[in-house]
Amino acid sequence: MATMVLTYRVKRRQLIRLAAGTALSATALAGCGLLDDDPEPVPPPDALQPVLDEALQLAAAYDRAVLAEPGLAKRLQPLAEDHRAHAAELARVIGVTLPSGAPASSAPVAGGDAADSVATLRKAELAALKTASAACRTAPAARAGLAGSIAAARATHAEALR
Amino acid sequence: MSAELSAALAAEEAAIYAYGILGVQLTGEGDLAEARAAEAAHRARRDALVSRLSALQASAAPAPAGYDLPFEVTDRAGALKLAIQVEDGVAQAWRAVLPASEGADRATALNALIDAAVRATRWRRLGEVTPATMAWPGRA
Repeated sequence: MATMVLTYRVKRRQLIRLAAGTALSATALAGCGLLDDDPEPVPPPDALQPVLDEALQLAAAYDRAVLAEPGLAKRLQPLAEDHRAHAAELARVIGVTLPSGAPASSAPVAGGDAADSVATLRKAELAALKTASAACRTAPAARAGLAGSIAAARATHAEALR
Repeated sequence: MSAELSAALAAEEAAIYAYGILGVQLTGEGDLAEARAAEAAHRARRDALVSRLSALQASAAPAPAGYDLPFEVTDRAGALKLAIQVEDGVAQAWRAVLPASEGADRATALNALIDAAVRATRWRRLGEVTPATMAWPGRA
C-alpha cells in the first residue's frame, strides 16, 4: 500500500508541474481535482475491485431475473448467493465496506432495469470468468486462491445455465 | 511448488483410478460420454504433471496400485457420488498450486481447477444434485 501511495504522489507532482507549465484552464484543473483543498490522495483502485463490482452486478441481475420470473428462483438463487459470498469476501480482502442498499444486501426493486434472460446471464458469467481468471493469474500469492475459486465458481455458473 | 504439484499428481492418479471403478456402473450414453471425457482429461493432466515435475527435477511418489474408496460403488447413484467427490478433490489439489506458483504454472493450475469444478457441476446436474454449484470450488 505504501508503494502505491508513493506512486500516486509522484504522479500528482508531475501533474502539477505539467499544469504549471501549460495553460490549462481552471475548469480542467478543477476536473482533475488539483485545485481541491482536500489533501487526501485517492488510492488507486484495488486489482480485485473489478471482480467485486461484477459479483455485485451479477447478484443484482439474478435478483431481477427471479423477480421477473419467480419460477426461476430455485435455479438462480443459489448462484446469486454465491456472488454475494464472493462480494463479502472480496470486500473484506480489499478493505472496503459494501455500500448499504447495494444489491448484496437489499431486496430487488421492481421496475428497475429489465430482467436479463438466462442466456444473457450466462454470457455475463463468462465475461466475469475472464475478469477473475486474469486477476488470478497476476495476483500476489495470498490472493491467488481467492481469485481462482471465484473464477471457477463463475465457470460452474455458466455450466449450470447451459 | 513441487510439493503442491506432486499432490495434484496424486489427485489426478486417484481420479483416473476412480473413473475406472465408477465407469463400470454407468450405462447411459450421456453418463458414459462424460466419464470417458473426464478420464481422458485426467490422464492428460497427469502426463503434463509428470513431465513438469521431471523438468523441475522433483521426484514424485509412484502411484499406488489401488485405493481405499470412501464407499462401495454398486450402482449409478454411487458412481455419480464418487465422480463428484473425485472432481472436488482434484479441484482442491489444483487450487493449492495457485499460491505456490506463478506465470505458466499458475495458468495451468487455474485451468485445471476450473475444469474440475465444471466437471463436478456436470456430474451434479446428471445426478440431479442441487445446488449444482458451490461458492468456493477447490476450497477444502
